[in-house]
Amino acid sequence: MRFDRCGFLIALLFATWPLAGGRLEAADLLPPETSIADAVDFYVEAVQRESQVTPAPEVDDANFIRRVTLDLAGRIPSVAEVRDYVQSTEPQKKQQLVDRLLASPDFPYHQRNEVDALLMAGKGPGEWRDWLYKAYSEDRRWPDLFRSLMLPKEADAVEKPAVTYLKTRAANIDDMTNDTSRLFFGVSINCAKCHDHPLVADWKQDHYFGMASFFNRTYLTKKQFLAERDEGQLKFRTKAGEEKQARLLFLTSADISEPSLAEKSDAERQKVDEKQKADNDRETPPEPAFFSRRAQLVDVALRPDSNSFFTRSFVNRNFARIFGRGLVTPLDQMHSENEPSHPELLQWLARDVESHGYDVRRLLRGLVLSRAYGRSSRWEQAGDRPADRLFAVAAVRPLTPMQFALSLAIATGNPADLAGQQAAADQWPNRRRDLENQAYGFAQQLELPGENFQVGVSEALLFANGGQIANEYLRDSGDRLVGVLKGQSDRNEMIKTAFLSVLSREPQSEELAAVSQYLAEREDRSAAAISQFVWSLLTSSEFRFNY
Amino acid sequence: MAHSFRGWCGSADHGVSRRGFLGSTVAAGSAFAANMTVLNVLKNPALAEEIKRQEKRVILLWLAGGASQLETWDPKPGRPTGGPFRAIDTNVPGIRISELMPKLAQRQQHTAIIRSLNTKNADHGGGTDLMETGRPKEPGINYPDLGAILARELGRADSQVPDYVSMYTSTEGRHKGGSGFLGARYAPMFLDKDLTPDNIRRLESISDLDHQQRMELRNLLSTRFARAREGNTLGSHNSAYARVRGLMASEKLFDLSQEPDSVRARYGPTQFAEQVIVARRLCEAGVPFVKTARAWWDSHGQNFETHLELVSELDHVMSTLLDDLQERGLLDSTLVITLGEFGRTPGINPSLGRDHFANAWSASLSGCGIKGGTAFGKTDEDGNKVVEGEVGAEALFATIFNALGIDHQKNYYLGARPVPLTNPGTEPIQEVLA
Repeated sequence: MRFDRCGFLIALLFATWPLAGGRLEAADLLPPETSIADAVDFYVEAVQRESQVTPAPEVDDANFIRRVTLDLAGRIPSVAEVRDYVQSTEPQKKQQLVDRLLASPDFPYHQRNEVDALLMAGKGPGEWRDWLYKAYSEDRRWPDLFRSLMLPKEADAVEKPAVTYLKTRAANIDDMTNDTSRLFFGVSINCAKCHDHPLVADWKQDHYFGMASFFNRTYLTKKQFLAERDEGQLKFRTKAGEEKQARLLFLTSADISEPSLAEKSDAERQKVDEKQKADNDRETPPEPAFFSRRAQLVDVALRPDSNSFFTRSFVNRNFARIFGRGLVTPLDQMHSENEPSHPELLQWLARDVESHGYDVRRLLRGLVLSRAYGRSSRWEQAGDRPADRLFAVAAVRPLTPMQFALSLAIATGNPADLAGQQAAADQWPNRRRDLENQAYGFAQQLELPGENFQVGVSEALLFANGGQIANEYLRDSGDRLVGVLKGQSDRNEMIKTAFLSVLSREPQSEELAAVSQYLAEREDRSAAAISQFVWSLLTSSEFRFNY
Repeated sequence: MAHSFRGWCGSADHGVSRRGFLGSTVAAGSAFAANMTVLNVLKNPALAEEIKRQEKRVILLWLAGGASQLETWDPKPGRPTGGPFRAIDTNVPGIRISELMPKLAQRQQHTAIIRSLNTKNADHGGGTDLMETGRPKEPGINYPDLGAILARELGRADSQVPDYVSMYTSTEGRHKGGSGFLGARYAPMFLDKDLTPDNIRRLESISDLDHQQRMELRNLLSTRFARAREGNTLGSHNSAYARVRGLMASEKLFDLSQEPDSVRARYGPTQFAEQVIVARRLCEAGVPFVKTARAWWDSHGQNFETHLELVSELDHVMSTLLDDLQERGLLDSTLVITLGEFGRTPGINPSLGRDHFANAWSASLSGCGIKGGTAFGKTDEDGNKVVEGEVGAEALFATIFNALGIDHQKNYYLGARPVPLTNPGTEPIQEVLA
């Protein structure tokens, strides 16, 4: 993941949102008791009508369960899950499916993987990943996690892994500053570092260095513990060459007052002095600073305000995760010069999220139950494909490395084994954990999709010629799909099993014919032919994307 | 890709042999990618050979860590900053270089020295970014590096060989560069463990025919899926698979054992030398950009011992490369760039080292499009600052583009936004262009 986006920041600094058009009064929004799904559809469909666009039809059941299982459980559904869902005549089956997935052992794993991808490019160390998993098993919320990351308790055995976020960035104040701003506040501010913004008069270097000042006292001790000093000011040079001392300044331009060293008594100053000297040599993690600038950042960022950078960015990132595109895009350019596609919806969701304690399950549930989420990704109507910002056609989204690797394991596993493990409530949590651990290694070979992501030839070569694909996933032993298929005597049934297992749907007649012919031409080497056929399913774009 | 046709007379009657034409088996199922429409002409080996001859290639000799200009192209003998090494005459009157480069001194007619780089950024990470992309980072744009740009400008859309190969050594710090907004299509093929790319060889468990037909079945299924669906990432997935078979056919290019012993002996036994041999093999086969890397030049201590070793090797390997390219008739179409992220301080520190220095340093360009035997720009008598012809990374890149016949003001488009190859106002160094 690149950390270099900067962007036109900010006018955000003076914190009216959105400047163009003005912020809506709460009274102008749909009532708070509206369901999230209804609010999404109300606002999204209003813009579609304005643009005279009729959205794509809803997807069929097989497509829906694949999509939503990838989004909430981080993997494709098993054959049994697809069959049960498609065959169910229950009128509330969609809601039941979504509720089951959100309550499943899969959810905290997937949530952990998404947050690890966001904060650590999907490469966080094991103890960090375990900590995140635990956090989501316990339903910890985003503000709480933010506080833990900014003020990690390194001496506490349980909470210690939270230090990973800052520790891996502590050597570079720009990384701490810009990543924190980008990931939690939706604002990339590093382009205000070298000069005031040339186009936006309000945007000054003061803001970059104001934000950096929250981190300028943070350092790693000789024993590599995270520590924070009680003193130290950041200075910077303006374009005109003038040297300035940075003020502690949040994105909203909120100034933070802090105790001045000059006002301290000699005894207090001595205490600060001694602590700082001792901290660097300590064999155990140092105590927090007497006055922690990072604690000030947490306070100012989490001040109750549904319109805060923190809340809006939380909404926008989750929306993008589900729809493949944020209400504001790019995700780190949430400022007044870059309006949301649906300003009222963003505001409504931000209010909803704040008043429901940043409950991510609740938010995701509402988003995936909207009609907008269920649209087909095919555009088959007359006229041009509508702009992405209208959400009239579903996006075709590349799987993350973890989704891909987990799905690979599900797709190539023995379907009956999987069904058994899923049916037994005491087995699936362990099975899922094992799958996670196995998938992690494979996932490290794949690139995390970012903006404008493209699949590289190295991935295609890995699948075409890599030993792991052939010898592990496509092995013809009984615990694998290929082994099961080998034992199925009816060719058409066998092809169906493979399609269901890998692509979560039945084959169409042309596909059945093409595959049948492929296999018929290779009756002298039928096991190899089956494995080649399964390979062609695994490498098809249909498997590589959530569509 | 129209540049590929420049100079082609249009006749299909050239009696060009098939020998040496790589990847004459055009990959099955290359019908996907939007950008793979042009060269059906490849099916005609005569035309393909003709086009290949026109093509231009680049070998980058990356001096990771930052080589000293004073011990290479811009010696200051007899000055307090000069160090122990002398300057020697080259075969071009008036140009003197360090005595550590006696072989290059006899081949100065191929090379233009640029002695007046002031790139300002003397941090490994920042300097590397700058010298890889040719410009400072900018808000909201992830710029491609030189290799990715040249892969796109000089590569063939449906190339059967890789179009950007990047080698590095374990001591280089694993800075990977990348294709930025040009996307993974132009991302380098990295050789990070040995000289053979990962997964380029077919497993023995599948026959070549099955490997090919399995791909055709995959393409059939994937094409059905792509109907009425859109997305750049989706296109890239199919393009990547469409290139697999062709790339596999290029495996022998990476095989040093296919090179005669006499050639290997000539380059020498070092890792850098082997990289350069492979680079030459790749370029000969039409790979437009190959980065080789020699590390680690970061001589904060013992600068002179370090440079005695590294410059001597560079002198030998680069000289051999220039000779080899010339003997094969490739020097006129191959640009050799010798560059690092910055130079080193004229001041010698107490550990007899030189530190990072980006204010007055040197790089060289040899071969394709270059006026050899020139030395552009000047530093002051101690090498502390540029006194004549100051240029930055942008001008160096504009010069490289022009040497290869690429308009340095050409635009790429990010959505509707034009992004020129070099920022407006940038001019190439005409004095070193042929």
